[in-house]
Amino acid sequence: MALVGPSGAGKSTLLGLVNGSVPPTAGTVEVLGTDPTALRGRAQRELRARVGTVHQHLELVGQLRVVHNVNAGRLSSWPAWRAAWSLVRPQGVPEVLAALEGVGLADRVFERTERLSGGQRQRVALARLLVQQPELVLADEPASALDPVLAERALALLAGLAADRGGALVASLHDPALALRHCTRVVGLVEGRVVLDAPAAALTVGDLADFYGAPR
Amino acid sequence: MTAVLDRPQAPPRLQRVRTRWAWGLGALAVLGWSLAGAGAFAGDVVNPAGAGQFGRFASAALSPALDGEFLRVLTDSVLVTVAYATLGAALAVLLGAVGAVAVARTTWGRRRLGWTLSRGALAVPRGLHEAVWGLLLVNLLGLDPWVGVLAIGVPYGAVTAKVFADLLDEVPRGGYEALLAGGVGRVPAALYGLLPPASGGLLSYSFYRLECAVRSAVVLGLIGAGGLGYQLLLSFSSLRWEQVWSCVYALALLCLLADVGGRAVRRRVAAPRSSGDRLRRDPALTTAVLGTLAAVAWSWWYLAISPATLVADRTGEQLRYVLTAAWPPDVDAPLLSAVAVAAVDTVQMSVIAIAVATAGAVLLAGVAARPARASAGRRLAGTVVRLALLLLRAVPPPVWALVLLFVLLPGILPGALALGVYTLGVLGRLAAEATEELDPRPRAALTALGAGPVGGWLYAVLPAATGPVLAFALYRWEVAIRDTVLVGLLGAGGLGALLASRVAAFDWGAVTTVLVALVLLTAAVDLVSARARAALRS
Repeated sequence: MALVGPSGAGKSTLLGLVNGSVPPTAGTVEVLGTDPTALRGRAQRELRARVGTVHQHLELVGQLRVVHNVNAGRLSSWPAWRAAWSLVRPQGVPEVLAALEGVGLADRVFERTERLSGGQRQRVALARLLVQQPELVLADEPASALDPVLAERALALLAGLAADRGGALVASLHDPALALRHCTRVVGLVEGRVVLDAPAAALTVGDLADFYGAPR
Repeated sequence: MTAVLDRPQAPPRLQRVRTRWAWGLGALAVLGWSLAGAGAFAGDVVNPAGAGQFGRFASAALSPALDGEFLRVLTDSVLVTVAYATLGAALAVLLGAVGAVAVARTTWGRRRLGWTLSRGALAVPRGLHEAVWGLLLVNLLGLDPWVGVLAIGVPYGAVTAKVFADLLDEVPRGGYEALLAGGVGRVPAALYGLLPPASGGLLSYSFYRLECAVRSAVVLGLIGAGGLGYQLLLSFSSLRWEQVWSCVYALALLCLLADVGGRAVRRRVAAPRSSGDRLRRDPALTTAVLGTLAAVAWSWWYLAISPATLVADRTGEQLRYVLTAAWPPDVDAPLLSAVAVAAVDTVQMSVIAIAVATAGAVLLAGVAARPARASAGRRLAGTVVRLALLLLRAVPPPVWALVLLFVLLPGILPGALALGVYTLGVLGRLAAEATEELDPRPRAALTALGAGPVGGWLYAVLPAATGPVLAFALYRWEVAIRDTVLVGLLGAGGLGALLASRVAAFDWGAVTTVLVALVLLTAAVDLVSARARAALRS
C-alpha cells in the first residue's frame, strides 16, 4: 500500500501511530489484530517486534559499525547479555552479511556507519529490517536518498519481505511512478484526512501528480 | 548495486582501530596499577569500627543545626566566603584582561618565540592549586585577607588570561584588518574590530570564573582563610554533625545560586534581545554587571582590605628572605626519592578518582538527564539524582576524605575516593547534559521495533554518548590532578602532603623542588590528556 500526500499531510504521523511511537489523542488503533496502546511490557515488545519501520536512515547510530546497526533489528529477541556481548564480538554475522548482500553493502559490514553516504546508510536501515523479519513493514520515504535503480530494488525488497511473512508493506512515497509499480493500493492524505483510497490499477501517474503540488 | 552483487568476494574482517585500543588497554593497565598501589587488592581497607560514627554523621543530615546563634555564625561565614570569591574573581578578570594582551597571538603577530615564552610563563601560576598559593602566601603576608584574594586571583588570572587571549584570537580578522588598513592605530582598531565580537564570550567566561571562585573560597577556608570552609572544618573536628550538615546545605545553596545566576547571564549573552532604534541595554545584564561592581566594593569594605599590607616593609623583607632561602632548590637524594614516591601516589589517586567518577557518571547520566516526555516517577528520580550530584560537588573533596575516614583505613584510598565522589558530582552533570543533547530518534526507533530498555541503551545511547563523556572525563583528570594536591595538603598523602610538611618546616629549598615537580606533573598530565582526546576524536 502506498501513502501519498503533500508534506505535512500526516503520512509520518500515521506510520508512527501504527508502530506505537505516537500515542493516539483520540480513537483507537488496531495493529495485527490488537490495540498496541492496551499492551504493556513483554507483550508490547513482542507486538513491536512484528512491525518493522524504516525511516530516512536517521535512526542509525553513526558511531556504531554497520554490523551493530543491522543487529539492532534483533534486539527484541536477544537477551540483554547477548546484546552487550555482540558489541564486543559481533553475533550472527552470517545473517547480517546475507542481509547486507541483499542491499549490496556486504563489503562495508565492519565500517563505522558515519563514514557511509546517505544512500548507503539508507540501505543499512533496510538491512536492519531484513534481519528483524517483521510481518508488517512500514516505510517512511524509503527511496528518498537512492538513485532510481536502487530505489526500485529497495521497494522490491521491502514488498518481498512483507509478502514472505504474509504481511503488508505500507510506504509513504514521493515518486508516483514507484507507488503505482510496487503497490496494489494507494491512499492519499491531505491535512490528516484520507482523500483517496483506490487500487493502483485504477490510477495513473497524472492522477497522483496533484498530491505533490500545493495543498488543495 | 548488481555489479557489486555479481562479484563473489570473501567477507571483510573485523579490524579494531589500533590507536584507540592501545589507549583503552593502557588506561586499564594504569587503573589496575593505581588500585594495586592504593592497596585495594591487599585486603584490610575497611574500618568496621567506624560504622557507628558514620551512622551518627549520616543521620544528622535530617536534623541540621538551626538555632539562632549558629545561624548568625553561618551567615557571617557565607558573607566572608562570598566576599573572597567576588574579590578573587574581580582580580582574576583584571589580571586576565592585562595578561590576555600580553599572550594573545594578535599582539605577537609572527614573533612565535615571544608568544611561546609568554604562554609558557602562564603554566607556572596555572599549574599550582589555589590552596598551594594560599599556603605560600600565608607565609609571606601572615594572616591577612589579601592571602585569600591573591590565592584565588593569581591562578585564576593566569587561566583567564589564556582563555581571554584565545577568545580574542578566534575572532574573525576581517573587521580588524580593514581598520588597520585604513590607518587606524592598533589599540583603537582592537577596540572597534576585536573587542565587540569577543565581548559576549569574555563576559560569559568572567561570570563562569565567579562561579568557580565560590568553590575555591570555600576550599581556602579549609586551610584557614575563614568563611564557610573554616566553619565546616571547625564543626567537623568538634564532632558537631548537625552543624556540619547546616554548613553543607548552605554550601549547596550557594553553589546552586552561583550556578543558576551564572547560567542566566550566559544565556542572556548568547541570545541578546533586539534593541531597535534607541540605545538600550539589556536590563538583566546591566544589573548583573553593576551588581558585581557593587559587590566588589562591599567585599573590599567587609574584609577590611588595605593595600598597605602589600607594600609594607615586613612583606618585602619576608619575600626577600623566602626567595633567597628557596633558591637553589634542594636536590639531595632522599628528597628526590620522596618527591618521586609522592608523585606516584598523586597520579594513582587522580586515576582512581577519575575512574570512580566516570563509572558513576555513565551509570547515572541516563537518570539525571531531563527527558522530553517522562512519567512522574521518572521525573522524581531525575530530580533526586540531580540534587544528590549537586550535594556531591558542593562539598569540597577534603571534607569527603574526612567522612570516608570513618569507614576506611587511612592511606591514599580515602583521598582518591573522596576526589572521585566530588568529581562524580561535576562529571555526572556534564554527562547528563551530553545525554540530553543526543538525537532521540535512534533510541525511539529501537523502542519501536521492540528492543528492551537495556538493549536500547546499549545500541543507541552508549555508543553516541561515549565520546563526549570520555572527553569530559579526560579534561576533569587534568583538574583532578590539581585537586589531588589539595586533598594531600590536608593529609591524604601525595605531593600535597609533602609540600605541607616542607612549608611547615620552613624548608624553602625543598618547597621549590616540590613545586617544580608539581608544575611538571600537571603539565605532563595535560599533555597525555590532550593526546588521548585527540585519539578519541580520530
